[in-house]
Amino acid sequence: MKTYRDIDGDGGSDILGQVVAQRGRIAANLSGVKRLVGVGSGKGGVGKSTLTTLLALELTRRGRECAILDADLNGPSQAQLAGVPSAPPVPGELGLLMPRGRGGFGVVSLGSLLPPREAFSLPSVAEGDSYVWRATREFTLLGELLAGVEWGRLDVLLIDLPPGAERAVQYAEALGPQLRFVLATIPSDLARGVVARSVDALKRTPNPLLGYVENMSGYYCHGCNAVRPLFASAPGREHRDPIGLERLGSLPFDPVLAEQCDRGLAGSPGGPVGLAVAEIAEKLLARLDESAPAGAVAAGAEEVR
Amino acid sequence: MRFLCVDCDEQMKLYETRGPDRGSVSLVYACPVCGRKVAMLTNPHETQVVSSLGVTIGGAGSADETAQAASRCPFTGMLKEMEGAADAEQPSAEPAASARPARAGVYWTREAQDRLGNIPPTIRDMARSGIEKFAVDHGYDRVDVEVLERARGFFGL
Repeated sequence: MKTYRDIDGDGGSDILGQVVAQRGRIAANLSGVKRLVGVGSGKGGVGKSTLTTLLALELTRRGRECAILDADLNGPSQAQLAGVPSAPPVPGELGLLMPRGRGGFGVVSLGSLLPPREAFSLPSVAEGDSYVWRATREFTLLGELLAGVEWGRLDVLLIDLPPGAERAVQYAEALGPQLRFVLATIPSDLARGVVARSVDALKRTPNPLLGYVENMSGYYCHGCNAVRPLFASAPGREHRDPIGLERLGSLPFDPVLAEQCDRGLAGSPGGPVGLAVAEIAEKLLARLDESAPAGAVAAGAEEVR
Repeated sequence: MRFLCVDCDEQMKLYETRGPDRGSVSLVYACPVCGRKVAMLTNPHETQVVSSLGVTIGGAGSADETAQAASRCPFTGMLKEMEGAADAEQPSAEPAASARPARAGVYWTREAQDRLGNIPPTIRDMARSGIEKFAVDHGYDRVDVEVLERARGFFGL
């Protein structure tokens, strides 16, 4: 009797062909995007989204065409961070028109599409069992966004990832090896330990890891114009649990910046944070140049069976 | 998933689809050699998982073929059932009329519908509602490419 692998196709639906076609649409639509960079972390609350926005601001300041895709569908924050005005999705000639934040870069985030404080819901005929299908549906939506937004020509498309070591790997597999990663942590052994697990998981993928950023490395006091310790550990000290990845830089916590984030950032912050972001962006661009040339997203669809 | 006619050792082909009905669809497969048929009956969880992949059971092809496949695809029907008929419409497969009525009494031209069809399906209904509100607020009774361009300028896109 024949087995599964003795048979070609699925009897008429060509599900595999449809998946391949969808990946083809994504690749075609991202053909003008030079680099895909995912900003992630195994740990939540370490400042991934703020780091993503700051990087976009700095890259834009340096003349790079940049945009952000907010992949945190359930906790979208990029619209507010970047100061994207609330607006309905507007179809352009080729796809969804990309809103722009106050800093001038494009931002695609459900945060600018959903009413404030409204959770993102997806219709279902299997009510009460969303754990079975929700992640799959979210990746389908991610694919729809990548294939259906007018991204145009971009030097870097930053993808603000939801937290979770396993989530980062899922994005690596979904978007293929063109997706490079920057990880964020804070200087606590607890957070570093979780991020180290992310590194371990991602190192099993072919996706390049560009480095990590230590966020909240200190507290910037505007009164005395100095960075004070925020955690017991000093920035960059030897930790008990090394992350196993190059540190791109350290960002101090700036309460004024935090307030600005609530209103939407319009430009690179000054002070120690601005200097640190510039240093991180410099290293990031260098790492990107060192890694293989970018191209369209082209995951291994032939392996889907 | 693949189906094999054990007696003929031959792959069975999709014959027809039925449903959706309360979260369940029926997929009938037939053996091309002996003609024997079997039906796969999905439960709501299976229906939801497949529809979450964003694929069309029954196959997809050209625009017309896609429209035909969509019309016979139970999972597409299920999405219509879930999201409301307007959500799952296929703008590119509309009849060649110059305009058609929409929910808010605002008409969409074929060209505007085509543009709507190019954006991600999940947010298509948000776009339709938002653009129709923009049109009504600005005194338009139909949405055409010019209105879309005006919306683009109005929202600074």
